[in-house]
Amino acid sequence: METLKQVLGSGRLVALWYDAPHLHYLVEGSEGAPPQEFRVEARKSFPSLAEEFPALDWFERELWEEHGLVPEGYPALKPLRNHHLPYPFERVEGLHEVPVGPVHAGIIEPGHFRFSVLGERIIHLELRLGYQHRGVERLFQGASLERALLLAERAGGESVAHALAFCQAVEVASGVEVPPRACQLRRVLLELERLFGHLGHLAGLFTDIGYAYAATQVGKVRALLQGQLERLTGHRYGRNALTVGGVGFDLDPKTQLEVRRALSELAAEAEAHLFAALKHPMVLDRLRYVGPITQAQARLLGLVGPAARACGLGRDLRQDDALYQPFTPVTRTGGDVLARAQVYIEEVRQGFAYLDRFLSELPTGAVSAGGVWPLQEGELRKAFSRVEAGRGELFYWVRLRGRRVEQVKIVDPSFKNWRALELAVRGMGLPDFPLINKSFDLSYAGCDL
Amino acid sequence: MNSLWQTLRTGLLTRSLKKLFALPAWAPGWPVLRPEGLSRAVRRELLELCPSAAFAEEGDEFRLDLAKCVLCGRCFRAHPQAVGELRTLEVAVARREDLVQRVDLATGSFVDPGPPPPTRAELHLPTLAFREVSAGNTGLDDTEVALAGNPFHDMSRFGFTVVASPRHADALLVSGPVSQNMREALLRTYEATPEPKGVVAVGNEAISGEVFAESPQVAGGVDKVLPVDVYVPGSPARPASILHGLLLLSGQARQALVGGRVVQEGRERARTAPSEAGVRKDG
Repeated sequence: METLKQVLGSGRLVALWYDAPHLHYLVEGSEGAPPQEFRVEARKSFPSLAEEFPALDWFERELWEEHGLVPEGYPALKPLRNHHLPYPFERVEGLHEVPVGPVHAGIIEPGHFRFSVLGERIIHLELRLGYQHRGVERLFQGASLERALLLAERAGGESVAHALAFCQAVEVASGVEVPPRACQLRRVLLELERLFGHLGHLAGLFTDIGYAYAATQVGKVRALLQGQLERLTGHRYGRNALTVGGVGFDLDPKTQLEVRRALSELAAEAEAHLFAALKHPMVLDRLRYVGPITQAQARLLGLVGPAARACGLGRDLRQDDALYQPFTPVTRTGGDVLARAQVYIEEVRQGFAYLDRFLSELPTGAVSAGGVWPLQEGELRKAFSRVEAGRGELFYWVRLRGRRVEQVKIVDPSFKNWRALELAVRGMGLPDFPLINKSFDLSYAGCDL
Repeated sequence: MNSLWQTLRTGLLTRSLKKLFALPAWAPGWPVLRPEGLSRAVRRELLELCPSAAFAEEGDEFRLDLAKCVLCGRCFRAHPQAVGELRTLEVAVARREDLVQRVDLATGSFVDPGPPPPTRAELHLPTLAFREVSAGNTGLDDTEVALAGNPFHDMSRFGFTVVASPRHADALLVSGPVSQNMREALLRTYEATPEPKGVVAVGNEAISGEVFAESPQVAGGVDKVLPVDVYVPGSPARPASILHGLLLLSGQARQALVGGRVVQEGRERARTAPSEAGVRKDG
């Protein structure tokens, strides 16, 4: 326990999950070092560390709710996804409360935000999520690999990243080798998903500040980019494209060339619009100093992905991926909406460069590992995997028995990043909330599971 | 100045309905049963092959539910003699049964569910305002609804807008299998919508619950909670199909699928041209 505290103090929590009768803490220390796993036996309760390490907060509430394990010493337990239990909101004496949601004004997923405001200024925000809870993790229990893959594709907002993280975990657990061509094709899909995701929220940011021209142009590039993902996989979001052991599609040289050419045109167009937009004084004025997060806060909450990189925390799992070498994570130091927008834009540029590289030198060979399934009936295997999704680090842990999934733990990047929103809006004007929310681009479904 | 030049150079992005309803060559279509190829062995293989349990056999009837299909194309690739491909995006229907293909194994022919009912006349209005409610959706069906408003699809040219409040809406677009936690919010949104009001179930999750159907955390479809006027299948429902659903609700398009198939003069069409009847001419 003491070593765990020490490592948590200097490192970052990746995931906390329960594989009865042990709690598993996965903590990443200094950069480059493989994450350390700590096991703590827990049958009815476990010592709470949330007060000391706020990154553990939602994980501990989740354990209490899902497995009935009581975190001893947790200040005030509240449900996370179970709406049948009473939920007392934090109240600030003398302030006006503005409840927003679960049904929002835009076309987005549901969630409830309780603002405590003084005039227009937000003093405090409390999130209440769980509206999207579909019991995904429980549906995995006993599912065949094919069905589990469908569930993974629908667990959060990023189909490819979720499918990839699930497949990788199963492949590590079972020892299935993925052929090099499939590995690279998977990265192509992952980058395409990241790019149209990023372009989508950039278009959203421009809409929110009333810059309709840029929003339309960026939206157009996004739509055409999505068309290229469909061109490759037959699905607009890349579903059904990945399989355990490889990918379910192949590219002929003609398509490869055409997609590459189309992408380089789109890259030029994105470049022109995005960089022009971020030179516009009105745009800069509207985004700068809005919704700031300090680096210390980001560390404390254990933020991941573009939100963390916009605070100067240069961690990107692609650093560890041999196919991306050399790789330098995009970082900015401002921590505000502008810094996050800059990270998105720079990553779009970076993503286009990697796509071009992946599509120009595609290894030849099979796209799927053939042969028989290596595990015997009833053979037990466990493994975890991590993928740098567009929103940040995505974690999957699986326990397999033969060809069936016995248990999974999914940690969507949004699960770690939602709390940042509560801190980012403090002291900001209420009308800026949509802008700040959009800049984090959080998935409700991925968090609620 | 630069923006003006760029705008002129971009030209018109909006596509005609005919173009929008054509499925791109690289996307798999919907499966459609071929009764003559459904031998006992093939049926058993289809039931095993489908990862989302879209096929079902009950007594003398073999069924394929398009609202449970995830469009992976495994079935028609493995058994082309028993399953064909229906390449259309005009898949919105007003009746749930019109998404289910039923084959009577004794006679080897399709069960005819009868002509589809018309959509409600009081919603056949020149403009319709919609409120979108996501009820346990992955988020992609919602994105697709938003994309139906992009310059390529431009749903506003048919008089459709998405409004912020249910008080201003004529109909609700509901996505997702309706999670237990969203049930009350959905019902209250429906109550807040003034009469006459319609409900469109967007995506397979909203129609059948799809892969979430067995979870105790979801209702397993919007029609378990609210009366539904139009069902738009898809995983997620594509913007063009959503547009077709809205046109169907507003009386500007006719239903193309009957009993899960496109039937014209007793004969199936392999490739479907968009229905012209009742569709307003566009640019």
